[in-house]
Amino acid sequence: MYQIALKMLMGDRAKYIGLLLGIAFTAFLVTFALSYFAGFITRGFALISENNSADVWVMDPAVNSTELTINMPDSTLGRVRSVKGVDYAVPMSLNDITARFPNGSFQFFQMIGVDDATLAGAPMLLDGRLPEVLHTPDSVIVDAGGSAGKLQTPLAKRDQWPFDRAHLNVPTRELMLGDELLVNDRRIIISGRSKTIPRFPPRPLLYTTYSNVTHLLPSESRRLTFVLVSAQENISPKQLANRIEQQTGLRARTASEFKEDTVHWFLINSEDVGDMAAMLILAMTVGFGVTGVMLYMFTYENLKQYAVLKAMGASASMLLGMIFIQAGVGALLGAGMGIGMCAIVGESVSMTLDYPFRMMWFTPLFGILGVLIVSLTAAAISARPVLKLEPGVVFSGR
Amino acid sequence: MSLDAEKKIAVHCRNIIKTYGTGASEVFALRGADLDVYEGELLMLVGPSGCGKTTFISIFTALLSADGGECDILGKDLNTLSSDQKVHLRAKSIGFVFQAFNLLPALTAQENVAVPLLIQGVGRKVAMQEAKLVLDSVGLGARSSALPAELSGGMQQRVAIARALVHHPKLIVCDEPTSSLDHESGHVIMKLLRDIVDNSNTTLIVVTHDDRIYEFADRMAHMDDGKIIKIETMKNQQGIIA
Repeated sequence: MYQIALKMLMGDRAKYIGLLLGIAFTAFLVTFALSYFAGFITRGFALISENNSADVWVMDPAVNSTELTINMPDSTLGRVRSVKGVDYAVPMSLNDITARFPNGSFQFFQMIGVDDATLAGAPMLLDGRLPEVLHTPDSVIVDAGGSAGKLQTPLAKRDQWPFDRAHLNVPTRELMLGDELLVNDRRIIISGRSKTIPRFPPRPLLYTTYSNVTHLLPSESRRLTFVLVSAQENISPKQLANRIEQQTGLRARTASEFKEDTVHWFLINSEDVGDMAAMLILAMTVGFGVTGVMLYMFTYENLKQYAVLKAMGASASMLLGMIFIQAGVGALLGAGMGIGMCAIVGESVSMTLDYPFRMMWFTPLFGILGVLIVSLTAAAISARPVLKLEPGVVFSGR
Repeated sequence: MSLDAEKKIAVHCRNIIKTYGTGASEVFALRGADLDVYEGELLMLVGPSGCGKTTFISIFTALLSADGGECDILGKDLNTLSSDQKVHLRAKSIGFVFQAFNLLPALTAQENVAVPLLIQGVGRKVAMQEAKLVLDSVGLGARSSALPAELSGGMQQRVAIARALVHHPKLIVCDEPTSSLDHESGHVIMKLLRDIVDNSNTTLIVVTHDDRIYEFADRMAHMDDGKIIKIETMKNQQGIIA
């Protein structure tokens, strides 16, 4: 009878395709929404992802994300390096700064200070340049960090460093190599441009050397935000992190733990995440509603056929099985189509528009599970009129 | 076919009462209907609209429960059967032919005919083979893979008859089997039903308004106002106590 049920499902092509598209749309919506959310969240720990040679991140004990940090004294680096099992350890500094453009406008940047000697933490550069450009005095590498239109400098020479007044509303262009900005009245020169993992929230980035941070932020007595540690081969990152915590009293997390901490921090503290989650839940609810109603209507419209089967001796369990088979198969096929569409569309927009889309292993799973649960619930609800159905309706006049 | 008083009774109903609604809106559909139908006869149940014919056949095919009275179908007292037993009785022993054919539109003629066997748990291959044989017997073997929408009304009704026959039921209930058909097709259908009765021990009850087909009946049961008011033996039949 289950083959009969599937034939009933697929028999009315228009209705069947409509149902599949409805379910596919829901699966698409749910998976896309979750992948979008995952994309944003993973951008939240972009700093950790781009420093993948660091096995352990060491920080102030109160810090539990890359988003909200406090600096430590420089001596901390030596304390960490002295722990047995540390192969090497390099400093990293994170500071929010305001930089002035040549026409007088300004922009907030996150300044990332990397180790002078190894330049560990510096990004890959565009234009075929090497991170060693940072060894040139006052050099910085600029990165949009997922932001758009925030790295604009005046196009015309006459609008740069004018003596009369700020030339704010003038034609602009993207920052280029050799352009200059001011930070704390000190000149910095764009020596490189990069395109690293976009940040969440999006923000322009300036990379420079750790020592240059001291020149640019002379009032900061503490500038060491993280110590990036590489573990020796004979010790696991987790063991080394525990050892560092025990010996220094600092917080030490393996890279994966620190990513989890950061995600957790965003989920708890970020209002943006809450707003986004609310929007996504609304979208998913609409999708689920559409699927549920379509499946219910499908079964309801076939009531007469179920009445015929019931009159001919089909038992309640057989009819239930048929309804659930129809819902299950419809859900799985629709979900497959929706997730396929999601992968294609998501990857396309992610590659072409730098969209925060990341289809992680659990997002399609949630899509399928969500659609299956809704479909089976709709089937259970629509089964009620079938079971309550008086088979006598198949006779004329009823 | 000849009938006599010694024939076994397939349907025995006494004082069947059925009401719909409650209180002021209560309506009596059956007010003590009595009926005996013998094995191997073709009985037509006739009467004006609203007289209770549909309710009556719904009750003795175990689709609806009576509020009062006794009903024995094929030796089984419906009052003592559980819901599951009633479902089993319908699946094994009763065939249905409906006015609107009620074929499943997504299934081919052969698959439609196979449905009662599939409901009983017969394997798909065997059920399809049986269905083909029965379709052949109603003259539709060549259209076995056609969908209902591709068949004429007469052909659809023949498929429905094949579906009612495929599991060899002892009782077939036909509800207005010719009212959706033209005279010629209706005649063909009734001849087919008559042949079934003549060539097997199947009992056929036909609910109808169509006086053009009365000639095919062994007996006619006239209903009005929720009761059987008259039973007559047709002229060409012998030996029935009316």
